[in-house]
Amino acid sequence: MAVRRQAHEWRNVMPVGETKILNSHPVLVPDNVRTVPLPRGIPVDIFVGDIGNTLDVPGELKAFQYIVLDAIAVWPQTLAAQIYVNTTRYFQRPDGVPHEGITGNVVPFPNGNSGIINFDYREGLNPPLYIAPGQTWGIEVTPIEDIPEYTGSDVTDANIAFCYVKYLLVDGVDALVAKALIDAGWEITVENIEKYKELLVRNNLLAALQEIPESISERKRRV
Amino acid sequence: MGIRKELYEWELLGRELFVVNDYPNAGQEYSIFTGQYGTSIKEPATCAEDEFYVIDRISCKSGVSPNEYIVDGGTLTKWNPNMFIQVVINTTGYYRDPQNVYSAGISGMASPYPMTAYRLKYYDLWPPIYVTEGQTWDIRYTLYNDLRQAYNNGLFTDIQGDLVLAQVFVDYTLYEGTDAVLAKKLVSLGVPVTVDSVMWLRQLMLKSKGMRMDTYEFYLKAKKIIREKEKKKRIMQGISTVSDYEDG
Repeated sequence: MAVRRQAHEWRNVMPVGETKILNSHPVLVPDNVRTVPLPRGIPVDIFVGDIGNTLDVPGELKAFQYIVLDAIAVWPQTLAAQIYVNTTRYFQRPDGVPHEGITGNVVPFPNGNSGIINFDYREGLNPPLYIAPGQTWGIEVTPIEDIPEYTGSDVTDANIAFCYVKYLLVDGVDALVAKALIDAGWEITVENIEKYKELLVRNNLLAALQEIPESISERKRRV
Repeated sequence: MGIRKELYEWELLGRELFVVNDYPNAGQEYSIFTGQYGTSIKEPATCAEDEFYVIDRISCKSGVSPNEYIVDGGTLTKWNPNMFIQVVINTTGYYRDPQNVYSAGISGMASPYPMTAYRLKYYDLWPPIYVTEGQTWDIRYTLYNDLRQAYNNGLFTDIQGDLVLAQVFVDYTLYEGTDAVLAKKLVSLGVPVTVDSVMWLRQLMLKSKGMRMDTYEFYLKAKKIIREKEKKKRIMQGISTVSDYEDG
C-alpha cells in the first residue's frame, strides 16, 4: 500500500465545556454538544490549533514520503482555508500577498451542504500541490465573519465548521519513483507512477536478457 | 463467473425495545464483517488462492450532529451516527492521519452512503486497493455519537424497528480462477487491474494461444491498447480530463 488516497477532516463540534481533543474525534452525546466559536480574522491551524480535533504534531513528511495535495473543502461559506508549506502560503492576492484562502462558497463541505455544490473545483486543485520530504505542511482556517457558538438544537450539520483535505500519500519505494518523476518534469499522479514503474519493468526485462558477468556469477560467498 | 462486481452493505438497525448490548460503544472500532453488531458474517474476509479482490469504493452514513435526533413519544425515529470507516489489510490500516498514525478513516460526510443531492461524495478510493491471495481484509467502523449514553440519559425508551442507525457500503470486484491469475499477471507488469484490462489480456492470450506471454513486444502492444480503451471509455462516460485529449 505504497500509494494511498488519504483524507483528514477537522470540525469545531465538541462536548459542552471542551474546546479541543488530541488525536481523535470527540465522542458526542445529544444535548451536551456545542460548536466552538471562531472569531473573525483569527486563523486556526486544523492540525495543531487549539480548537476541535487536533494532532500532536504538524504534518511533516518523512524522508521517504511525498504528498500530492489535491483537494480541499470547507464550511461554512464564511470560513476560508489556506494551505501552508513551511512558511509559504498557497492562496495569494494578485499583488502577491497571501489572503485568508478559499471559502465554503467555492468548495462547500460536505459537497451539497445547504444546497451549495462544488462546481468549480470538482477535480480539486489543478495543478496539485506537492509536498516534499522534510517539509512541514498544514491548513489554517480563518473566519471572514464571526462564527458564533451554537448550542442545543442549533448544533446542526449546517452550523458546524468543517475543513476537509484530501491527498495522495506516496510512501516507500514509490516515493523514489515520485522523486524521479519530479526530476524528469512529470506530474506525480497514480497513472504516471504506474507508467514509470512499467518503464522500469520493461528495462529490467531487457536487462534480464543479459548474461550475468563472470565477476558476479563466480564471486565467492563471504560470511 | 470469473469476474464479479460485488457489493456488501452493512446496517445497524433499531430493534424497538432498547437493549444496551445490541448497540456498539461510541469511540470504539468494530468490524462490519465479524463484529457483533448489525448484519455480519461468520468468517473474516480472506482472499483465497484463486481469488483477487479490488476494493473500488467504501462509504458510510453521513450526519455529524447528535442533536439532530427526533424522538416521538419515547421512540427514537432519527439519529446521526457521526461515523468513520477504515480499511484494514492483514494488520495494516489504510488510513493514517497527517502525523502518520493509524486513524479512524474517512467519514460519511466525505464519502456518504446513500448519496443525495445534499450529500455528494468528495472522496474517491483511487487508486483502488488490491487484496491478493492469503490476505485478509476488513472494513472497520467507529461511531462517535453515543447511543448508549443517550439512552442512559433518558432521551428515549425504544428505537423505531426499521430505523437505520448506521450503514456501510463496500463496492469491490472479485476476480476468480484464471481471471485471478491474469489479474496477478497485470500487477506484475505494472498494469492497473480493471475489468477491461483483465478481459483484454484474456483475449490476447487466446489470440496468441498462450505463447510468448512475456515478450517485450506483446507487453508493449497490450499496454498501449488498454490505455487507448480506457481513454475512449472515459471520454464516452464524460469523465475525461485534459490529458485524455493530448497525444501520447
